[in-house]
Amino acid sequence: MENSTTSNEYVRGTLKTIVLNLLAEHDRMYGYEITQEVKDRTGGAIALTFGALYPVLHKLEQEGLLLTESVEVDGRLRKYYSLTHRGNETARTKTNDLERFIEAVRLLLAPKNLATE
Amino acid sequence: MKRLQENRIDQISKYLQAHKLDPELLPEILDHLACEAEESLWDGKPFEQIYRDMVKTADAQTLLNLSVDHQNLLAMEKSLNDIVFENRNKSYGAYDLRKGYGQTVQRSVVMGVAFFLLLVMLPQLYARLKPDPKPDDIAYIVEANPVDIKMEELPKPPPVEEEIAPAPKTVKSLTPEVLPDELVEIENLPPAIDELENAQPSTETVDGIANLDVIVPPVENVPSAKSEATGVEPKKEETFTAVEQSPQYEGGTEAMAAFLRKNLKYPRPASQAGIQGKVYVQFVVGSDGKVENAAAIKGIGFGCDEEAVRVVKMMKDWMPGKQAGIPVRVKFTLPIAFQLD
Repeated sequence: MENSTTSNEYVRGTLKTIVLNLLAEHDRMYGYEITQEVKDRTGGAIALTFGALYPVLHKLEQEGLLLTESVEVDGRLRKYYSLTHRGNETARTKTNDLERFIEAVRLLLAPKNLATE
Repeated sequence: MKRLQENRIDQISKYLQAHKLDPELLPEILDHLACEAEESLWDGKPFEQIYRDMVKTADAQTLLNLSVDHQNLLAMEKSLNDIVFENRNKSYGAYDLRKGYGQTVQRSVVMGVAFFLLLVMLPQLYARLKPDPKPDDIAYIVEANPVDIKMEELPKPPPVEEEIAPAPKTVKSLTPEVLPDELVEIENLPPAIDELENAQPSTETVDGIANLDVIVPPVENVPSAKSEATGVEPKKEETFTAVEQSPQYEGGTEAMAAFLRKNLKYPRPASQAGIQGKVYVQFVVGSDGKVENAAAIKGIGFGCDEEAVRVVKMMKDWMPGKQAGIPVRVKFTLPIAFQLD
């Protein structure tokens, strides 16, 4: 629990990029699928709560980066998300930005003597 | 994968509705929670425990945050109108009017400006399209078609059917005239009786139909014997050009030729100039045989014309031309040839 709350703090800033990146790898995904994908690939290190995920998805949709389609599955309406053309480009730039940021953070977190070496 | 029973789904749905989750978000969150629950069922957890866990994660605060987030998101798109008409009757009409106000104003301004400009420019446009008439312009062109004026054909009077009365058989039978002896001609003998048996008396002998019913009166111009009986000169002074008996020179053409040869003298100027040809002398032989009004109508000049006229005037009386036995004035043209030897 402790672990997940701390991770949530960092996840909040990168969630948009994570979602875009996942959607770039798949044709279309629905909300629960995204959370499962994140949980599986990180071995549960990052757990997305629906309370955090859906506002991000809706915001991206409003920005015109995502398209939605509702399909009825098992008697329930399932909302699938897919990237628009512009969403694809944004996913690429944001992923690059995040990678550079992580590199920078890694440099900062590394012991000072190692970094200067 | 184990399916979640309907009533379980309804239970979750009611829970979400009870916590005032935005209706627009409801299906999505419901699906998400249902998926989670099915996953847990797959793991073999009883539904009751799953539901308790779900309520723990999806607590009232989380759901409220979701709704608020969603509202905020929508609010960014909403206009003032949407806020004003929040929770009001939007189908009443005022909302639509307000919503379309901007567009309406824009459209009306464009139309108004266009109309005003058109009104202002109209005279200029008209002037440009219709150039001023130049003074030498032709105002009207009247195409003149040649008009055929045809003389109105007067209705031809029905051809007077000249009743060519079937000429009855006639035998020349002139009423015997009382004439001075020397003028009596032998040819005008009255017809023999037997000739008249089948024919009517007339001025000519025509071989017509012998016994015609129609009794044609004798030709009118048959002069009555009485009028001429005294041998008085006929009153008629009409000049004929062609008569039944043309006037004759006393003694015939031979005698006339001799007379001319004897009296004509070749005029000196003509003989000197070598002129020859014919001179036409016209004159009238009166009913008394006198030669009158002799004149050369066509000549050769050089004194020949005058000479010819002179000789003609010298001629003694002719035998007058006769029409129906009556001596008449006859116009006569005599060609006189001048010939150099």
